[in-house]
Amino acid sequence: MKLVIGGTAQGKLEYVLLKYDLQKNNVWDGVLPNDIERKEKFVIINHFHQWVKSRMISGGCPEDEIMSFLDCNEDCIIICDEIGNGIVPIDPFEREYRERMGRILVQLAKRAVEVERIICGIGQKIK
Amino acid sequence: MMILVVGGSGSGKSSYSEKTAVSLAQAGMKKYYLATMQIFDDEGKKKVDRHRNLRKGKGFLTIEQPTGIFGALEKMETGERAVLLECISNLTANEMFSEEKAKTKMQVMEDIICDIKLLKEQTTHFVVVSNNIFEDGVSYDEATTEYIQAMGKINQELAALADQVVEVVAGIPVIIK
Repeated sequence: MKLVIGGTAQGKLEYVLLKYDLQKNNVWDGVLPNDIERKEKFVIINHFHQWVKSRMISGGCPEDEIMSFLDCNEDCIIICDEIGNGIVPIDPFEREYRERMGRILVQLAKRAVEVERIICGIGQKIK
Repeated sequence: MMILVVGGSGSGKSSYSEKTAVSLAQAGMKKYYLATMQIFDDEGKKKVDRHRNLRKGKGFLTIEQPTGIFGALEKMETGERAVLLECISNLTANEMFSEEKAKTKMQVMEDIICDIKLLKEQTTHFVVVSNNIFEDGVSYDEATTEYIQAMGKINQELAALADQVVEVVAGIPVIIK
């Protein structure tokens, strides 16, 4: 798995599509592909943070779910916004979301073969 | 040696800072953890417990110093020491908002920078943790804006004082200076 992170609107998806010569139909937006879909073509998960948030709202466990997904789908690209670089929100759910999102990224970065951080459309390889 | 470690929420900056402080401290050197967080509720307690667990077995002596960080010096034994201060964002918030007579932004900045300079002189190794709170693009009320500006200035001054500055991103240390 390759992990691509960065602030919002930094051109992360465009960067990935161009670099790896992939198409929009390789992209799952804020969702994970199902078992049939993930076998059909290479998988890019875009807006991964939105998936994490939606799993939290549904009472799921995104930490375990993404690891199980990767166990049978190690070869993929995950694109995620960095959301933790701001003032700690007053809303308790938003606070928990930021904290858990950050820790999930730490775990994904450990597992990733490569981590790139995108700033102004430019990739910085940090692992 | 002084190292400034910055990062966002859940970035892994605490874990990295502890490892760094432990590896800098030679055998027999005292290790101190200067804790700045004030506990007001369950969530705060959980945060503190989590950090205590992370530090467990690493040989840190904890000094609670939510304000007036230089005051921690007299609670330490003399001699060689490695000190980990966590974190500047709580310290700044405590100094600005929680005292009966809150200080102005200017006073807070000057006091914290002065205290850190003195602590740097009095420690063998000094690891300071701060927070990247600057990138959410939200316009806040006056008090929060003052806080953000104070933090920005303090971080810049600390970075100038530090021998090394590290940003922790998804648990990965990125060397800035």
